[in-house]
Amino acid sequence: MSLWTQSIVSGLLSGGIYAMMSLGMSLSWGVLKIINLAHFSFILLSGYFTYQLAFSYGWDPFAAILVCVPVFALAGMALQWAFDKLRVSEFESLLLTFGLFIIFESIASTVWTADFRRMDTVQNPYQSQSVWLGDIALPVPQLAAFVVAVIVAFGTRYLMEKTDFGRAVRALSQDRDVARAFGIDPHRVAMRLAGLAAAFAAIAGVFIAMSRALWPGLAVEWFGIVFSVVILGGLGSTLGTLIAAVIIGFVGGVATVVGGPPMAPLAIFLVLIATLLFRPQGIMGRSSI
Amino acid sequence: MADLRFEDLVKHFGGVHALDGVSGHVDDGEILGLVGPNGSGKSTLINVLSGHYEADSGRVVLDGEDITDRPAHRIIEMGLARTYQIPRPFSTMTALENVSVPLMFGAEPKSPGEAREAAREWLEFVGLEAYADEPITSLNLHQLKYLELARALAARPRILFLDEVLSGLNPAEVNESIEMVRRIHDSGITIVIVEHLVRVVTSLATRIMVLDRGKVIADGDPGEVMRLPEVVTAYLGKRAQSA
Amino acid sequence: MRQRPWLGPAVTLVVAVALWFYPNLVDAAGWPIFYLLFAYTVFFWVTQASSWNLFTGFSGYFSFGQGAFYGVGVYALGVLVVKRGWPLLPTFVVGGLLASVLGLFIGLVVFRLRRLRGEIFALMTLAVAFVLGAVARISPTIDGGQGIPLSSVPTPDALGTHPQMIFRLGLITAVLAVVVVQVVQNSRLGWGLFSIRDDEDVAETLGVPTFRFKMIALGLTSFLAGLSGAVHALQVSYVTIEEVFNIRVPLMVILMSILGGTRHWMGPVLGALVVHTMSDRLNRAGLEAVSDIIVGALLILMIVAIKEGLYLRMRERPLVTAIGAAVGVAAGFVLGPLDSAVTHLAYTLLGAVLGAMVPVGRRRRPQSGAPATQTIEEVVGG
Repeated sequence: MSLWTQSIVSGLLSGGIYAMMSLGMSLSWGVLKIINLAHFSFILLSGYFTYQLAFSYGWDPFAAILVCVPVFALAGMALQWAFDKLRVSEFESLLLTFGLFIIFESIASTVWTADFRRMDTVQNPYQSQSVWLGDIALPVPQLAAFVVAVIVAFGTRYLMEKTDFGRAVRALSQDRDVARAFGIDPHRVAMRLAGLAAAFAAIAGVFIAMSRALWPGLAVEWFGIVFSVVILGGLGSTLGTLIAAVIIGFVGGVATVVGGPPMAPLAIFLVLIATLLFRPQGIMGRSSI
Repeated sequence: MADLRFEDLVKHFGGVHALDGVSGHVDDGEILGLVGPNGSGKSTLINVLSGHYEADSGRVVLDGEDITDRPAHRIIEMGLARTYQIPRPFSTMTALENVSVPLMFGAEPKSPGEAREAAREWLEFVGLEAYADEPITSLNLHQLKYLELARALAARPRILFLDEVLSGLNPAEVNESIEMVRRIHDSGITIVIVEHLVRVVTSLATRIMVLDRGKVIADGDPGEVMRLPEVVTAYLGKRAQSA
Repeated sequence: MRQRPWLGPAVTLVVAVALWFYPNLVDAAGWPIFYLLFAYTVFFWVTQASSWNLFTGFSGYFSFGQGAFYGVGVYALGVLVVKRGWPLLPTFVVGGLLASVLGLFIGLVVFRLRRLRGEIFALMTLAVAFVLGAVARISPTIDGGQGIPLSSVPTPDALGTHPQMIFRLGLITAVLAVVVVQVVQNSRLGWGLFSIRDDEDVAETLGVPTFRFKMIALGLTSFLAGLSGAVHALQVSYVTIEEVFNIRVPLMVILMSILGGTRHWMGPVLGALVVHTMSDRLNRAGLEAVSDIIVGALLILMIVAIKEGLYLRMRERPLVTAIGAAVGVAAGFVLGPLDSAVTHLAYTLLGAVLGAMVPVGRRRRPQSGAPATQTIEEVVGG
C-alpha cells in the first residue's frame, strides 16, 4: 500500500517538472506558432550549466537559476528575432529547430561526453533530502520544482489576463495584423514571450540537474512527455498545462508501479492517443491562454 | 439538370451563429445572387453547400439525394464546384498544373497526361494560356481569380458557386469578369454568386436571396427584393452606417 | 515537365541491371570489400530517404516516424527469423507490412482531426519511436532490454557471398523504392498528394480524396521503410533498442531529402548519395562530432536559403554544376589524399553542390493575354 501511495505521490510531484518543461513549449506553439525543438536543448544545456557551476565553482544548484534564466532568456529572444527576420512558417520552425537541436546535442556530447553527469551530495545536498508527510517521502528537488511550477503557472496566467503585456500576447495569438493595428509591436511582444518561454526551460533544466543524472540523449526522451502534456493541456493554456502535467505524472507513476519504469512512456502515449481521439483541443482548449 | 435544396442549415463558430436555420433552393439554369451585409452568412452557406464546412444540423439534397454528410471530394463529383473569395491556387504548381488537378478526379478521371492537355483548353477559355507553364506567383489578383474559375470549370460542374469573384478588382476587370460569368452561364451552368457590389448582382442575377445574421430575410426577383423595407434596413442601412 | 512517365522507371531498371554485376567487377578487379558495403549503405539511405519523401515530401505532412518504421522492420527480422526460425525472404515482406500497420494506425488517429493535423502528426511520429522502444524493452518476446544477436541468420547462397548478398538485397529494395516513388510522382496519387501539400482544403473541394490518398501514401512509405529495415538487420550483427529507435534515421532522411529536394524523386536519391559520402569521409577522418554539427547547420541552411533543393537547382544550372564538379575533381588531385574512389566521389559531389549553390540566372515573364472568346462547348468538344 505504501509503495503505491509513494509511487503515485512521486508521479504527481514529477508533474511539477513536466509542467516546468512544457509551459514554455505550450506558449511558444500556441501563441508564437513556433514548434521549438530547441526548447529541449535549452532545458538540457541549462541542466549542464547547473551541474558545471556546482562542479567547478561549488555553486548551490538553486543559485544556478540566477545565471541560467538570463542566459537562456536571451538565447530564446535571439532565436525569436531570427525567426521573425526569416519569416518562418510553423513547419519551417519545426525543421529549423530540429537542426538546432542536433547541433546543441552534439555540442553537449562534445563538452560533457556521453557519460552520465550528476552532482554529488556535497554539490547538491538537496537530492538526498526529503520532506516527510507521514511515511511518504517528498524529495526536496521534486517538491521545489512542483511549488515553483505552480507559482510560475499561476503567475503566467495572471500576466496573460491582467497586464498590458498579456493583452498584447492575446491579440498576437489571434491575429498579427489586428495586433499591429492596435499599436502593438508584434516583434517585440513575440521576443519577450520567447524569452519568457526560454526562461521557463532554464528553470526546468536546473531542477532536472538537481534530481537526476544528465546525458546528451536525455532531451530526446522528453519529446513524448512534453508533447503529451502540451496537447493534453491545450495549446497556450497555462493552467491546462499544469493540470495535464500532473495527470501525466500520475499516469506515469501508476504505470511504473504496475509494469515497471519502461511502462510509463507507453501509458503516457495511450493518454496522448485518447486525447487526440476524444478531446483534440486539450482539457483547457485553445481559447484560454 | 440540377436541383439543389437545403433545409434548416445551422452552423455556428463558437457562440456566433453564421447560419441560423437557412432553407432554400437553387433552380436549374438560374443565376442566384446571395447578398447581405458582412457576416450575414453568405460565404458560410457556400462553404457548407460545397462541403468545405460540415453543417451542425440541417439537410442538403441534390436531385433527391441527401448529400449533407458527403465529403467535399464527392460533392464536386456530383456537379457542385466553387471558387474561393481570396484565390487559393496550389502555390508550388504552374497555372496549367493547377487546372489539371480537378481533371484527374471526379466522375471521369483522366490520367495526368490527358489532364494536362485538357487543362490547356480551360486556360485558353479564361485567357491565361500564356501563363500555362508559369509559377502562379507571376499572376495578378485578376488572373488568379480567373485561374480559380478555370479550375472550378474543369471539374465540369452543373452548379458553380462564385464567392466574391469581383472583390478587389478595378472597374475594367469587373466588367470583364461579369462578361465571363455570363459566358459561363450561357453554356448551361447554373450559377450561385455571392457579391457585395449590389448593383452588379441585381443586374446579373435572375433571383436574389438576402441573408442577414444567418437567416434568409428575402428571396425573389432582383428588382423587387432590393426594394423591400427589411432588406433596405438590414443591408443598405448597415452598409450606410459602416461606410 | 515532359510527360514520359515510363522513362524514369525504365532508366532505373537499366541502371539496376548494370549495378547487379558490380560485385563481380569488385571481385574481378580485386577492389576492397568496403566498396560493396559503401554502395550498400548508399542504397539503404536512398531507400529510406525516398520512402520518407514519398509521404512527407509529396503530401507535406512532416514525419519523424522513419526511425519507428525502420525499427519495426529490423525487429521483425530479429524476432521472427532469429527467435522463431521463420524463413528469411517472406519475413522481409512481413517487416514491411508490420511497419505499414503502425503507419496506418497513426494516420487513422491523426487524420481525423480537423485542426493542427500536420503539427500533431509530426509530434506523434516523433513520440512513437520512443514508445516502441519502451514496448520492446518491456516485452521479452521482442527484446526485453537484452538486444538480439543477428550474426547467425542463415542467408541464401544464390546472391553470392555475404557482402555481395547485402549489396544485392540493398539494390533490390532501393530500386523498388525509387520506382514506386517515380510511378507515384507521375500518377493521380502523386498529383493528389502535391495538391494536399499546397492546400488540403482546396484539394478536397476539387475532388481529391484526401484522406484515402494520405493513408495510401503513408502505407507505402512505412512499408518501404520497414522492408529496408528488415534487410538492414542482416548488415548489423547485433540489434539493440538504443541503436534502432533513436533520432538518427529520421534526422538523416530529413536532411537527405531536404538537401536533394522533395519535389522530385531524384532529390532524395541525390541527397542520400551526397550526405552519406560526405559523412563517411568525415567519420573516416575522425570528425564524427563535427559531422553532426555540419548536418544540423546544413539542414538550417537549406530551409532558409535553398528551399527547392539541390536537384532542381542543378537541373536549372547544369553549366555551373558541371564546372563545380570539374573543380571538385581537380581540387581532389591537388589537395589529396585520394586514397580511395570514395574520396574522389566526395570531392566531385562537393564541387557540384557548391557550384549549384552559386546564385545565377533569372526567369522571364510572359505577356498578358485577353480571355479568348470560345464557349465552354468548344472547350469540352475540342
